[in-house]
This record gives sequence, C-alpha cells and structure tokens, in this order.
Amino acid sequence: MATLAVEVVYRGIFQRTLARNIVRNIVFAARKDGKIGTAFGRYGDSPERNGIPAKQFAIVADTPSELEESLAVYEATNVDVTINVDDTMCKGIESWAWYGLQPINELTKSGGTLIVTSRQDADALLEDIHQKDSPYDLAIIPSTVSFSGLWVYKDDHTDMRALGALCKVCPEMVSLGAMLESIKEQTGSDTKVASVQRAHDRTTGRPVEPGEGNTETPFSFDLPGWKTMEEGLVIRGVAAGTGFRGGEEGYTPGRNEVFKKWSTRSMRPVINFDTCIKCTLCWLQCPDTCFDVTPDGLYDANMEACCGCGVCEAVCPVPDCVTMVGEGEFNGNDSQWDAWTADKDGYNKWMTVLVEKQKDETRTHGFHHIGQYSEEITAAEEV
Amino acid sequence: MATVQDLPQVRGVKNIPMEELYSSGHRTCQGCESALVMRLMIKAAGPRTIVLGSTGCMYVANTTYYSTPWVVPWMHTQLGSSGSAATGTAAGLASMMRKGKMQQEPINVIAFCGDGGGMDMGLSAISGALQHDEYNLLILCYDNESYANTDIQASGGTPWGANTTFSPPGKETRIMNTRWKKNMAPMLAVGHPNVRYVATACGSYGLDFNNKIRRALTIGGPTFIHSIDPCPKGWDYDPKYSHELGMLSIETGIWVQYEIIDGELTLNGPSRAIAKGIRKRKPVEDYLMRQGRFAHFTPEDIKYFQNRVDESWEKWWLPGVIPISSAQGE
Repeated sequence: MATLAVEVVYRGIFQRTLARNIVRNIVFAARKDGKIGTAFGRYGDSPERNGIPAKQFAIVADTPSELEESLAVYEATNVDVTINVDDTMCKGIESWAWYGLQPINELTKSGGTLIVTSRQDADALLEDIHQKDSPYDLAIIPSTVSFSGLWVYKDDHTDMRALGALCKVCPEMVSLGAMLESIKEQTGSDTKVASVQRAHDRTTGRPVEPGEGNTETPFSFDLPGWKTMEEGLVIRGVAAGTGFRGGEEGYTPGRNEVFKKWSTRSMRPVINFDTCIKCTLCWLQCPDTCFDVTPDGLYDANMEACCGCGVCEAVCPVPDCVTMVGEGEFNGNDSQWDAWTADKDGYNKWMTVLVEKQKDETRTHGFHHIGQYSEEITAAEEV
Repeated sequence: MATVQDLPQVRGVKNIPMEELYSSGHRTCQGCESALVMRLMIKAAGPRTIVLGSTGCMYVANTTYYSTPWVVPWMHTQLGSSGSAATGTAAGLASMMRKGKMQQEPINVIAFCGDGGGMDMGLSAISGALQHDEYNLLILCYDNESYANTDIQASGGTPWGANTTFSPPGKETRIMNTRWKKNMAPMLAVGHPNVRYVATACGSYGLDFNNKIRRALTIGGPTFIHSIDPCPKGWDYDPKYSHELGMLSIETGIWVQYEIIDGELTLNGPSRAIAKGIRKRKPVEDYLMRQGRFAHFTPEDIKYFQNRVDESWEKWWLPGVIPISSAQGE
C-alpha cells in the first residue's frame, strides 16, 4: 500500500562503507517485516571522490509491483527520512559542478524526519540547516563524525545507531524487532544489536516549523540544457589569471566559475600570517590552486577553491602557521587575509582560540596506521 | 624538425612561474596528487601548449558537467590513444604551419594518460608515438597505481599485494595481486633508442618536476615522463599525507627518480643519494603500513616486499632501473 524511501547523505569514500551498511541493512530488515526493498547509490555521485558529498538510497515497498513502480523514477525526489552522517553538511550538499548548494533537507517530505549525527544541539544545527516551507522533525544521534577509507572500515557502530534511530522515527518503514533480528543474523554481534536498541531508545525528534532555520538563499547556478551547449560540446576555458585581485602585483588565478567550493570540505586551513616565512610550499603543493598570492608575497587561501585536504598544513615548515580547523567553526567563504589586514590583533586573537580548540578535536580524515581506528573508538568511549 | 620553445631550467623554488594554467574548480578527491601533477606540468610548459588527455580521473574530474579548470586548450582522447592523439596533433600543427594556415611558432604538445590508459591499454600507441621522432611531443603517464576513476581496479601499475576491487584480500588467499609493478620508463627507453628523453618524476618534488617537464619539451622529438601519484582514495590514507607518501616512495627505494638523456642515465634527488651510499634506504614498512591498501599485510608479506626492493638495488644490472643481471657474474 505504500512505498517509503530513505536517503543517506555522506562524505564520498570516507563514509561509503558506512552509508552502504545503513541502506543495505534497512532492506535486509524490511524483508523480515514481509516487505521488499532495494538499496542503491546515486548515479551522479559515481565515481566517488574523497570528501565530496554523495548519496545512497533505500526504498522499501509492500509489494514487488509498488517497488518496480518506484524504481521507474530515476532517483528519489522526496524521501521520508534523510540521514546525514556528517553534520558539516547541514550547510548544504554540493556534489557536481553547476549543482550549487542543495539544502540538506531538500528531499525530506512534509512530516518526514532529518536524522543527523552530531555533537551539536538542534538549535546550533538549525543555524546551518536551510528553512523549508513544510514541517519536518529533526533527530540527533549524539556522536563524533565517523570517517574511514575505501579498504579499512572504522567499525564504531555509527551505522547501527543510525539504524536504531530510523526504527524509532519511521517504524512503518522497518520495525525495531525486524531490525534487531536482521542485525543479529547479518553480523552475529550482540553488541551491535545492543547499539541499535540503545539508539532506538534514546532518539527523539524535535519538530521544525515551516520557515525555521537558516534563511540564506543557497548558492545556485542555472544548469545549461543540451540546447544551450555549444557545437561539439566545446567548453569555454577558464580566463587567464591577473595580479592579486586584478591589481599590478601578486597573483589571482582565473577559476572555474561554476564549480566553487562550499560544503565540499569538512576542514579549512587557518593561517598565521605573522609567522609565515613565504617559503611557497603551501602554494606550490596545493592540488586545488587555492592560494592567491598577495602583493607582499603572502598566501591567502581562497575558500571558493579549497577542498580541505590539509596538504598545506602537512608541508608547512613553521609550527602552527597553517592549521586545519573543522568547518563547523565557520560561516561563509570570507578571506582571512582581508580580516588580518583590517585588524591584526583581532584576527590573531580569533585564530589563537580556534587553533587551541582544534587541539582537542579528534576529527581524522582516514587511515594513518594499523590499529588507529580501534584506538579512536576506545578514546571515543572514554568521552 | 620544428623549433622548440625557450623554457629555461628554473633555479630555486621561488622562481617557479606564478601563472596558473590549470586552475581551481575540478572534481578530484581531497589531496589529489594527480591534480597537482597537472598543475605543475602546465605551469612548466606555459600558455602556448595543447594538452590531450586520455580517459581517466584527469579527464572525468576536469570536465565536470560542462565546466573545466583548464586555461589552455585541452582535448579528450580515448583510453588507449594518448600516443596517437599526441602524434596526430603534432603532425596536424606541422602541416597547418607548412601550408601557411597557421603562423609558424613552436607549440608544446603534451598528452597525458593514467597507468591504466598508458601502461596497459595505450602502450602500443605510446610506442608508436615514440617512434615518430620527427615530432616534438611529451607523453606524461600519471600513475596512481590503479584504475582510480572507476573505483580502484588493478592495473599494470598496481604494486604487489595491494588491495583493489580486482584483488581483495580473502581469508584463504591474502595476496590477490601477485604481479610486480610494470617497469614502464626503462621499457620505453630501452625499446626506443632514438628517444632523447625519458624520465621518472614525483609531484612531491615540485622544482624537479618543473625542470623535467621543461627538459622534455625542449630537447626535441617525442619524450616520455612517468610520474608516481599518491592517491588518497585508492591507497586509502588521510589526504594530507599525499606529499609525504610521494617522498616516502622514493626514500624507501620503491620508486626511483632518474632521467635518461640521449641514452645516458642520471639518478637524481634521494635516489641518487641512495645509489651513492650517502643516504640509507628507509624500510618499505614505513611506506606500506601508512596505506589502507596494504593493511592486510603480515610481517612475511612486508619482508617479501622488502626483499624484492633490496634485490632491485643490489642485483639489478642498473640498480633500481633495469632488472637484468649477468649470468656469468662480473
């Protein structure tokens, strides 16, 4: 009688196994309830790239014909539940060029639920989450973000907690009993079953009223259709660079105007301009050409180009000159060099606080060494 | 033979050209070393350059839905045809200039290919291009050791034992990729005696990379550069270590940096120091255990890998380069 859909929004590669575990286990569990379902990734996100937001879906239906009917739609256009496994994407999702920034709750149905894994509370998250015309619920799974890589998975039960929360907010899609039975069968692990149960018991949704949330209009483009493309699919090249912001000295590269970075990165470099020795390494080794060269030979990381890899921090020879800071601390893409030039003391104070705070952060971007993930899980349990 | 551009060797990292001809706004992974290689390559070559790219990450990620980060002219070519596209473009330019349809000027022609497109599929076309020694062109193989664009299938460039979607370690059989990495640059150098320049490179050494590109473009005739590009997606590591892993691949002796100019081999950078005994090779474990693709390795596997690398430095006729030794012994 019904078809229900879930989308999982995740960071490409870093959370791919996590997302796959969530959508597959929804389908396995739904079968225990006598339903039928399918799990799939969004074609437009493939090939996936490290850190670039991506989506996977699970569709559950009462009958095979209903499932087939829903599969005739290329991709779900509205979903009953959106699961966001990295709270920095509450600012929006940005996958390919021209897409601009899509609100995280864009596909969430009226009366549906947005589940977010986060250490922040609902009010803090709603500063980032864009407003919607229709009401929905916001549920939070308290947890630090879980990142691993393509081959080694960080098995910290984030997937189990998401599944438990889903059973709570949308029991008509999959019942808790079916989920517990299915997880036991799939994993054989009692601790995983316990994680599902605990998340189910603890999750509560908070209603979000129409118009509540971030009132900014998300950054967007007009996508060219096939009639507006040029013959032979010629693409216009990027304009040549100029002096710093069009001036005589320094350098600002020409950049691709229709693929700017907003929520692609989950961290950004914060630069101490006073200790910079102008060695050029951050600029030279940046794969994204993100540094503008100022007239006095400093390097201003342009946030419309930075995807947050952290190579600049790794190659910088000066301690704490470049520090990667979690994206949750920032709003907008403003130039740090501008802020520093306008008020050096104010900038340095702001920067010192951020850098100190960062030292307590456990956010990692994938594999460093064997045993790292189990160490991180132990550390998280102690918190 | 057409004349070449004046692209002098750069002394000192601060003299690397500021101009960006491959810019921001591409859909590569965070920390993509191959994107850096594209950027350094075209920085060295300058604006009067045509770039041809065979299918792979550097095609797909750089023409993201009708947009591009390229400033210079760029054209896509099929997976196996970087060699043919390079020869065709160079020949086309020569012909247009001869007929007076274009003004006479040296234009750099660079074709790039990944390890899949170059070391596997496009090998014969590259060989063909290197035999047409009347044309000036450079073929750059950016080697991230798998078909990374299509989600990490094993290629001829994949190292022994690495986890890929074609070689997942299992409970019964742990090492599924039993092939040793294809030795691409020496194969092309040995097989094409008229080619004046063949080199290996790594984006972690920006200045060296810049100068190798310039030497390849100014020496005349077809040339080849093979670059090792750490890939955070397929190698499974934190993207901030891209630069460091590139350096480690050389410091452990797994990757060897050299130029072969008119048949004469010169090791450079850390590889030269290792060969001269000035610097000790780091254990391969330092490199392997930093990557999730080798996380299934046991101490025996690491030992096997170390032995193979030791052998390449101690027993090969040209250490680290040519895997032939004399049966009689010297």
